[in-house]
Amino acid sequence: MSEEAGQLERNLGFLEAMTLGGGTMIGAGIFILPGLAAEGAGPASSISFVIAGVVALLAAVSLSELATGMPIAGGSYHYVNRALGGLFGSIVGWGMWSGLMFASAFYMIGFGQYIVVPLPFLDGRVLVVLLGLIGLGLITGINFYGTDESSGAQNLMIGAELVVVLAYVALGVFFIEPGNLQDFAPTGPSGVLATTGIVFVTYLGFEIIATVAGEIEEPGRLIPLTMILSVVLVTILYAAIMIISTGVVPYQELGDSFVPVSEVASITMLGVIGVAAVTIAAAIAAISSSNSSVLAASRVIYAMGRDGLMSERLNVTHDRFATPHRAIMATGGVTGLLILVGLQVQEIVALLAQVASFSFLVTYGLVHIAVVVFRRADPDVYEPDFEIPAALYPAVPVLGVVMTFVIISQMELQVILVGFGVVIFGVVWYVVYVGGQAIETGLIDDAFEDPVQAAIAKLPITSNVPETVEPYRVVVPVANPETQRELLRLAAATARAHADEGTPELIAINIIEVDPSTERNIASERLEHQRTLLANARDIAAEMHVDLRTSAITAEQAGEAILDVIEEETADQTLLGWSGTLDREEHAFSSTIDPVVKQAPCDVSLVEIQQPSIGTPVALAGPGPHSPVAARRAVDFATVDETIPTLLNVQPPNNDGDITPTERGTAAIRWVAERAGLAPDEYESEVIIARDAESAILDAVEEYDTVCVGLSEQRDISRILFGSIAERISQEATGNVGIIRGTKRLDQSGIDDPLALVDDPETIFAQK
Amino acid sequence: MPLGDSATILVPVDVTADDRPARPLVDLCRSVDVVLLGYYPVPDQLAPAQLKQDHETDAQATLEETADRFRDNGIDVTDILVFTHDREDTIDRVANEYDCDAVLVLSETEHIEQILAPIRGDTNLERIVSLLEALMQTSDASATFFHSVAEDSDPSHGEFLVRGAADRLAEAGIDRDRIDWQLSEEESPHDEIVELGQAYDLLVLGETKPSLRDRILGAVPTRIVDEVDRPAFIVRDVE
Repeated sequence: MSEEAGQLERNLGFLEAMTLGGGTMIGAGIFILPGLAAEGAGPASSISFVIAGVVALLAAVSLSELATGMPIAGGSYHYVNRALGGLFGSIVGWGMWSGLMFASAFYMIGFGQYIVVPLPFLDGRVLVVLLGLIGLGLITGINFYGTDESSGAQNLMIGAELVVVLAYVALGVFFIEPGNLQDFAPTGPSGVLATTGIVFVTYLGFEIIATVAGEIEEPGRLIPLTMILSVVLVTILYAAIMIISTGVVPYQELGDSFVPVSEVASITMLGVIGVAAVTIAAAIAAISSSNSSVLAASRVIYAMGRDGLMSERLNVTHDRFATPHRAIMATGGVTGLLILVGLQVQEIVALLAQVASFSFLVTYGLVHIAVVVFRRADPDVYEPDFEIPAALYPAVPVLGVVMTFVIISQMELQVILVGFGVVIFGVVWYVVYVGGQAIETGLIDDAFEDPVQAAIAKLPITSNVPETVEPYRVVVPVANPETQRELLRLAAATARAHADEGTPELIAINIIEVDPSTERNIASERLEHQRTLLANARDIAAEMHVDLRTSAITAEQAGEAILDVIEEETADQTLLGWSGTLDREEHAFSSTIDPVVKQAPCDVSLVEIQQPSIGTPVALAGPGPHSPVAARRAVDFATVDETIPTLLNVQPPNNDGDITPTERGTAAIRWVAERAGLAPDEYESEVIIARDAESAILDAVEEYDTVCVGLSEQRDISRILFGSIAERISQEATGNVGIIRGTKRLDQSGIDDPLALVDDPETIFAQK
Repeated sequence: MPLGDSATILVPVDVTADDRPARPLVDLCRSVDVVLLGYYPVPDQLAPAQLKQDHETDAQATLEETADRFRDNGIDVTDILVFTHDREDTIDRVANEYDCDAVLVLSETEHIEQILAPIRGDTNLERIVSLLEALMQTSDASATFFHSVAEDSDPSHGEFLVRGAADRLAEAGIDRDRIDWQLSEEESPHDEIVELGQAYDLLVLGETKPSLRDRILGAVPTRIVDEVDRPAFIVRDVE
C-alpha cells in the first residue's frame, strides 16, 4: 500500500516565475507597441504605460491574494469561477483564452513585420502574414511535441533579449533631442487614456504567473513577489523606452513605422548593427511570448474542462508526448485565423492588441470582485498566505474596478464591440453548453447574505408581524441513479402529507466529495454524473408535479455539506438513501450519514431501497424514542400507493395482570399513534404475541413492502447505535427499510433526554 | 556520518517507461532501506494536475509493481508518486525530505561482479566507502577505487588517497582480494571514467557541488552515468 496519493511537484522557483511572467511582458510588446503608443499619445505614451502599470499592479495585488489562497492551475478564471459562479467563469475563461490568442496573433504579426521591413529585398503584407503563420506553426509544433528541458533555452533567449533592450535604453539616453519631447501630450488626457487601452496587452505576463500558481515553489511568498515585481520593473522599463524612443525619433515618424524600435536603434546603436540586434531580439521575443501564451491557454482550457465548462475532449493528452495536443491545436488554429485577418484589415495590429487588453481588463475587473466575495464569504478552503494589507482593502479592488471601466470607456467602438462579442459568447456558451445549470454556484450568495440577515435580525420584533408561511422543505441528497426515483417519490409523499404545514418543496442535492489536498481537481466524469443525476431529479419531480430545486455542491465532507444545506434552507426533513450496511468501526452508518443523524435539526429518514414498490408500510410501534415519528413516516410513505399503514407491536404472552397482552399491545400502539398525531382511521393495528420478539417481528415484517423503524438510542447516547431489532431488520428484511430519527425538539417535550420518555414503557402503557 | 546498515537509498523510476530495477540491483539493496520515487514527467504544456487526473491510477499500479520487487526480497520500501516538470528537482527534494544517503540510477545489468568507485578527494570519501562496504557485504562483487591525478599535483597524493580508501574497506572486514585501486594521469578524468566504466557492472560516484557550469550543462556524475550506461549509486554530499 502506498501511504499517500500522487504528489504534484512544484518546480517553478523565483527565476522561472520571473522569466515566465516578466519574459512574456518584456517580450514581443516592447518592439511593436512603441509605434502604436507614440501614434496615440506622443511622448506622453510613457504616462499611458504608467497608468496601465498601475491598473495591472492593482490586479496583481488582488490576484496575489487569490492565488496564494488557492494555488491551482487556471489563474483568474479559476478564482472568478469559484467566487461568482459558472456564468462568470465562462465569460472569464473564454475571455482569457481569446485574449491569449489575440495577443499571440499580435506578437506573430509583429514578428513578420520585424523580419520583412528591415530587409530591402523583402516586401509586402502577404509576406508579413506568411512569416507570422510560419512562426506560429513553429510554436504550435514545438508545443505539440512537448518542450522537455526547454526552460534553459527559454532563459537564454530572454537573457539575450534583455541585453538588447537594456543596451537600447542605455545608449538611447545620449541621443534624446529635447525638442522632440516639447509637444509632450499632443492628444491630451483622453489620448493618453485611449493609448492605455492599447498598451495594456503588455501586462498580460503576470497573469501567466497566476495560471501556473499550482506549480510555484513557496507560493505564499513567490507568487506576490514575482507578480508585483515583474509589473513594477516592466512599467519602469516601458516608460523609459517610450521617453527615449520619442526623444530620439519624432513621435509622428515613430507612429508611422512598423518597426519603431529598429528606427530608433539605427540612430542610437551603430546603424545596421543596431537594426540587426533589434530584429533578432524582436523575433526571439515574439516566439517566447507566443510560447508563454500557448502554455497559459492550455491551462485555462484544462481548468475549464475540469469545471465542466469546456469539453473534456479538448484536454485529452497525447499518448506519446503527453501534451494536451488538441487544446494546443485549437489555440494555434484560431490564432492562425486571426493572423490571416491581417491580410484584409489594415489596422489589425492595434485591433488585436486592444481586444486582448479588453479581455484581460474585464477579467481583472471580475478578479477584484472575486477577492471581495472571497473575503466576505470566507470559505474554509480559502486561507491566503498573502492578504491585501488592511489599509488598501477595499481600496485596491474598488479602484481596480473603476479604472477598468475608465480604460474600457476610452477604447475604440469596434474594439468594444468585438470585446463584448467575446463576453456575450461566454454567456451564450454557458447557457447552451452548460445548460444554464450552475456547476459551480459560486460564493456570491454567501458573501452578501450575511448583511441582509443581520439587517432582518435587527428589525424590532413585534407580535403584529404576520408570520410568513414557510414552505415545508425536504432535503434529499441523491447519489445513486438507481434509487433516486424512489427516494424522490418518498420525499414528495412526505412533503405532500405535510402540506398543511407549508407548500411542499423538495431540494435535491448532490455532493462531490473532494480531497482538499488534491486541490479540487474534480474529474469531469464526476461532474458529468452530477449533472445527469440532478437533471434526472428535475425530470422525476416534473412527472410528480412537485416543486424541486437542485443544488450541486463540492465539499470536503459530504455529511457537513448536507448539514449546511439543511440549516440554510431551514429544512423540515431530510431523506437519505442508505446502502443498508453498517460500519462497525469508526462510524455507525457511514462518515456521511453519521453527522447528519447526530446533528441535523430536523427529522431524518434513512431509507434503504430494495424494491421499487412502496406498497403497504409497517411501522414498529415499540418503546423507542423515535417510534412516533416512524409511525408518522409510515403514514406519509403510504400515500405513495394510497394504502393504509400498519402499526405493529409485539407483546410477551405472559398474562399476569388484568390486561391481556393484546390489550396491552393495542394500548401501546394507540399511545404511539397519539404521540404521532395520527387519527384512528389513518392506520391499522397489529399486535403479535410471541416469546421471541425479535424473530416474531422479522417474520411479521416480511409481509410488508416497506418497514419503518425508529432509531434506538438506548445503548449508547454519545454514539447513536441501533437497537438490535432495527439492526436485524435492516440486515434481513427484503423490503424497503426506513430508519427514522425525529427532530430533537427538546423544548416541546420538556425532557432533555429522549430516553426519559421510555424509562419504563410498561408504566406508560399501563396508564393508557 | 558513515553509512551502513541504516542507509537509505533513493531509487527514482520513470513510471511511464518500463523502468524496472534489474534483479542483481534488487539483491544489492537487501542491506538498506529503499525510498522508491515513481515520477511521471509532465511536459511544460500541461498542468501536472491534468496528468495526475488522467493517469494516477495506472501510474500508482506501475509503481506498486516495482515496489513489490523490493518487498518480495524483504526490503523496507517507501513509495512516492510525483507528477513533475523537472525530474532532477524532484529527486533532490525527495532525497532531502527522506534524508537519503544515495541515489540509485537504474540501468540494465545481468550481474554485479565489478564495482568502480571513482574518487576525487577527501570529500564524501567516508560515505562512499561505507556504502561500498554495505554493498560488498551482501554480494561477492569486487571493487576498484579510481583516482585521476591532476596535471600539476603530486601523483603520490592520489595514491595515498586510493590506498587509504582500500585500507579502510579492508579494515571493515572486506577480503583484501576483492579490493583494487587504479591511478591515472590522463587529462580528462571524465572521458576516462566513461571509458573505464564500460568494463564494470556498477558505479559508485560522489555527488558534486553544483558549479555554475553544472547548472547549465548538468552535474558531472549525471553526465557520466548517462554516458556509461551502467547502474550507479550517487552518494549524496550531505555535509
